[in-house]
Amino acid sequence: MTVFHFFNCAILTFGPHAVYYSATPLSEYDTLGTSVKAALVYLGTALVKLVCLATFLKVSETDNFDPYQELLKALIGFIDVAGLYFALTQLTHRNISQNHKFQAVGLGWAFADSVLHRLAPLWVGARGLEFTWDYLLQGLEANANLVLSISLAALGSLMWLRKNKPKTLIPIIYACAGIVATMPSITSCVKNSTCQYPYYSDIWPLQLFEAGIGMAISKGGRL
Amino acid sequence: MAHRKARERDMLDSVYSMLALVFILVACVELCDAATVVDVYRLIQYDISGVPFGSRLASLNHHAGSLHFSPGADLSRTVVMIPVRELNISFVTEYVSRKHPLGGMLFLLPEIFRLENGGGGKDVREKEVVKNVLLELEKLLVHAKLPYPVYFAFENDEIDAVLDDVKKNDATGQPATATTGGYKLVIPIAEPKKVASPTITNIQGWLQGLKADGDANQLPTIAIVASYDTFGAAPALSVGSDSNGSGVVALLEVARLFSLLYSNPKTRGRYNILFGLTSGGPYNYNGTHKWLRSFDQRLRESIDYAICLNSVGSWNNELWIHVSKPPENAYIKQIFEGFTNVAEELGFKVGLKHKKINISNPRVAWEHEQFSRLRVTAATLSELSAAPELLESTGGLHFVDETSFIRSVQLVAESLARHIYGYQGKNIQIFADNSSLAVNPSYIRSWLDLLSQTPRVAPFISKNDPFIMALKKELADHTDEVIMQHEVLDGMFTFYDSTKASLNIYQVASVTFDLLLLLVLGSYLIVLFSFLVITTRGLDDLISLFRRPPSRKVEVSQEKLANDNYECVMV
Repeated sequence: MTVFHFFNCAILTFGPHAVYYSATPLSEYDTLGTSVKAALVYLGTALVKLVCLATFLKVSETDNFDPYQELLKALIGFIDVAGLYFALTQLTHRNISQNHKFQAVGLGWAFADSVLHRLAPLWVGARGLEFTWDYLLQGLEANANLVLSISLAALGSLMWLRKNKPKTLIPIIYACAGIVATMPSITSCVKNSTCQYPYYSDIWPLQLFEAGIGMAISKGGRL
Repeated sequence: MAHRKARERDMLDSVYSMLALVFILVACVELCDAATVVDVYRLIQYDISGVPFGSRLASLNHHAGSLHFSPGADLSRTVVMIPVRELNISFVTEYVSRKHPLGGMLFLLPEIFRLENGGGGKDVREKEVVKNVLLELEKLLVHAKLPYPVYFAFENDEIDAVLDDVKKNDATGQPATATTGGYKLVIPIAEPKKVASPTITNIQGWLQGLKADGDANQLPTIAIVASYDTFGAAPALSVGSDSNGSGVVALLEVARLFSLLYSNPKTRGRYNILFGLTSGGPYNYNGTHKWLRSFDQRLRESIDYAICLNSVGSWNNELWIHVSKPPENAYIKQIFEGFTNVAEELGFKVGLKHKKINISNPRVAWEHEQFSRLRVTAATLSELSAAPELLESTGGLHFVDETSFIRSVQLVAESLARHIYGYQGKNIQIFADNSSLAVNPSYIRSWLDLLSQTPRVAPFISKNDPFIMALKKELADHTDEVIMQHEVLDGMFTFYDSTKASLNIYQVASVTFDLLLLLVLGSYLIVLFSFLVITTRGLDDLISLFRRPPSRKVEVSQEKLANDNYECVMV
């Protein structure tokens, strides 16, 4: 029964990625290679971020909100953006259209993020007899993260791959990209200011909302 | 080509073995993530001549239930959590006597009975009510055969919260099973095994009397004996501070006082004093029996009389002397008169009770009967007026009252001293208060404290248990020639181990919840799939996904037609 629960949480966490791949034309154009490469780039980015965080961040004993530390964390978050840039522009992809390229990269990115951050806690925790809501909330967070990654990749491809951009939308695109890139910092700010959330992953509606805005802008930009 | 294929196969093999190793490692992670972990103590499990008693199982893995279950509910896979404060003893009696199937019982004892809180007179009235219930419960459980695990635990905040939740669930009429969620109690412990050779250890010490020069005869001996082990429903909790902790401490204090007297040759009496701390008390005084049998005949004959101490700590104004020889016997008269005189001076009564021994009956009710069977004059001094039944719980809940206990010690010491020094009938107080030979209250208090926190059920104490070593050392401080005798408990009694365990309480979701969740997630994924197909490929594609088989048949038939036409043309 508890393996049942683990199975449920696993399909909630990783199912949408598989569904996204098979439902959209990505499967027809065989873009699996691109996704795998994007996942590997994410792995490298995560390692670099880890090293930077360990080097530059101080471990604070108190739980107070330190603006400088948060600023530093946001800056390190831009390494994420750099990694995405690398995945979108520098990797050699087969002849797939831009439309599909950013989707495949975003998908690979989100899948690697889910596996690295959520698989181990799921395996260790969800199989026990004790029932908690944590793992289901984690799965919902993985879903939101998928939308976030794809919208970030979309904005990235708008910024770096499209040569002819409509002039009016350029500042909005860059602003949205900035917001979406620093999403983790924003969520921790909100968490600190409104301390009544018992589960930290209650932030996922907020994430979805922001990601949705980014997605809409990118869709509008492609039209 | 073959070389490369072989290499590929090797690589695949190594990858598979790596994966297998990773999976094994990960699966070995300890899943100890329970909501609560509580120490629990198991009901005793024993056989008398092969007849089983007590709780016969140890491991537990069932749902929790409370006493508010609906009548007629099936409890064979439920552990009933019963707080002793609200215990209705008739429920337990009914369940035990009618042998209803039950998953297990968990009794919750009030916090004040915890061993660390010690004896103490706090909240005595509250303790009184619960004490009586506990005594009845113990008597019932110890003499019944229960084919399910029975455990005792102390109440604390977490387990109280769990119990409240369980009561609420039960009140809605839903018994907790696999399909309705609730709490699961798990005790992962091996099957209980017989204790291989339960040892009982007797400790003896001598105070040598003063031999007159030129006197070749052996000096007469007076023996003081007390049994130090206990028996109770939960062996890990059986501390017996009155029975027989009071006897042990009285013996130690008398030993201390007489060692002060005997250290100086001018005040040494003409009697040897033999102190004996025996084990095996609840089991027909088996230890005393083996101890006496180890004496040689001459020594046994030289014992003038023996005084056995049994529960002398919590009486009001009357003590009893139990004898097996008829009261008209000269020796008995002498002993009794000596005790009565001292008791009168100290302000209380001493009564005499006579109980004949039946040699054919193996049941030994008092310790002095073991002496009498070997024709040694003996008596037992006790606050109990009637002998306890076999394996009746040795009242570990009675707390010792210091003033009456001190009076008991004074009684024993004075009577002995007057007999030894020949001052019978004279009004001389040897162990007067505020003298250097007064009874020492702090000594008594510290030993009583220790005894009220040490569970001492004999089969579960090893030969070199620290408590036995402490007794030996203390006796050695006061007496000479301290000898420990290790014996094996009478084969009539068999005990089983696993007396202590830790209980994990998990909050579990029901199977229906998991199935519902699977349904919800499945529909979510299907909706997501359709949404994505519609937005990226169009609605036609979604419909075409379901219409492919018939379209392929149409295609095939069209192709066949075309081929036939072609053949016709060819021909």
